[in-house]
Amino acid sequence: MERVVAIGLKIPDNTAYTAFATLRRLGIAVERVERCDILQFVDVDGESDEALRQRVERDETLFNPNKHRLAILKSGSPRPGEVWIETLGERPEAVRRYVGWRLFKGNEALPRETLVAAVEALLCNPAIERAIY
Amino acid sequence: MGARIGVPIFPGTNSEDETVQLLRACGGDAELVHWSRARTLSDYDAYVLSGGFAYEDRIRAGAIAAHDRMMDFVIEGAQRGKLVFAICNGAQIVLEAGLVPGTGPIRRPTAAFTRNAPAPHFVNRHVYLKLAVEPSRCAIAAALKTDDLVPAWSAHGEGRLAASPEHLEEIVAGGHVAFVYAHRDGTVDAAAVPNGSALGCAGLVNREGNVLAIMPHPERDAWNFNHLDRAEGKDPLAPSGGAVLFRSFVAAVTG
Repeated sequence: MERVVAIGLKIPDNTAYTAFATLRRLGIAVERVERCDILQFVDVDGESDEALRQRVERDETLFNPNKHRLAILKSGSPRPGEVWIETLGERPEAVRRYVGWRLFKGNEALPRETLVAAVEALLCNPAIERAIY
Repeated sequence: MGARIGVPIFPGTNSEDETVQLLRACGGDAELVHWSRARTLSDYDAYVLSGGFAYEDRIRAGAIAAHDRMMDFVIEGAQRGKLVFAICNGAQIVLEAGLVPGTGPIRRPTAAFTRNAPAPHFVNRHVYLKLAVEPSRCAIAAALKTDDLVPAWSAHGEGRLAASPEHLEEIVAGGHVAFVYAHRDGTVDAAAVPNGSALGCAGLVNREGNVLAIMPHPERDAWNFNHLDRAEGKDPLAPSGGAVLFRSFVAAVTG
C-alpha cells in the first residue's frame, strides 16, 4: 500500500515565486504557483494517517514545524493542475521523492495543456527528470 | 577598438572577480556586466559565464538563469558565432539554455550537469582537464596542444554529466566531449573523475565549436601563489597553470 505526504512551506516560498515570475515571462498564463516536496511511502500497511504524520514530523531532515506544513494526500497521483517532477536515477525503495508543482489561474487549476507547456518550458529537464501528471 | 569580453553577473554569481582578473592578466579586455545592464551585453564580442549559484539554483542549477534576459543576448551572440566560455554554474546555465551540446532546440536541454554520484555531495578536489578533441574542434581551446593538461579545482555538488542513452550517443558521435578528467600524468580512468560524470566528461563543446562549458575552475589554479606546489621562487602574482586555457580563449577572441 502506498501513502503520499506533501510538505510545503508556510513561510513565503521564494523558489515558487521565482518559478511564477519566470513562467509569466515565458508567456505562461499562470497566476499562482505552489511547490511542495512529495514523499511517496510504500509498504505502510496498517499505519494510520496520524501515525505516518507523526513519523514524518519527527524527522528533522524532512520537516521543520516552524516553516513547513504537512498534508497526507488522498490520492497517490498528482492533483488537478499539479505535476510531480522525479529526478531520474534516484529511487530508494522505501520512499520515493518528487517535487510537486501546482499551477493556478485564480482559484482554478491550470488546464492540462498549459501545465504541460510550463513543464516543458521550465519545470522539467527531461535529460535528468521525469514529469508525472 | 579591440575585442571586448563581457562577464555577466546574475543574482548569485560569485566567481566573477577572479575570472575578470585572469582574463585581464591574459591580455583580455574584460568587464563585469551587472544584470541591470543586460542590454549592453550585445556590445561585447565574447562572453564568459563564471561560477556561483545563479538565482540560488532555484528549480535546478542554471534553470532560471537560462531564461534570464542576459541569456537572450548571450544566446543571440552565440548563434552569430561569438565565443562563449562557461565555467561551473555558467556551464550548468548554458546546458539548461540548450547551447551545449546544442543537439536540441534552444532552451530545451538534452543534457545536464547534475548531482554528483555515487555520493550526492559537494566535491572540492584538485583535478586536471585533458583535451578529448583536436584543439581546432573547439575555438576556445584551439591554442592548446593535444597533450596539454589544464589544472583546475572541481568545486561543485552538481557536476556530473547526465543525459539519456540516445543523447549520450549524440554527444559522443558529435565530438562534443571537449575535456575529460585526467590524472597529473595524463592518464584517464574512473579514479580521475570526481563526480561520476558520464564519459568522464569535464567539458562539452557545441557543434559549431564556439561555446565551451566546463565544470572545474581553472581560474582558481591560475596564479603561481595558488598552485598546490606553490611554484616557489617565481613571481607569486604571475598567471600560470589554469591560465593556459584563458590565454587560449583570449587569443581566440582577439584573433
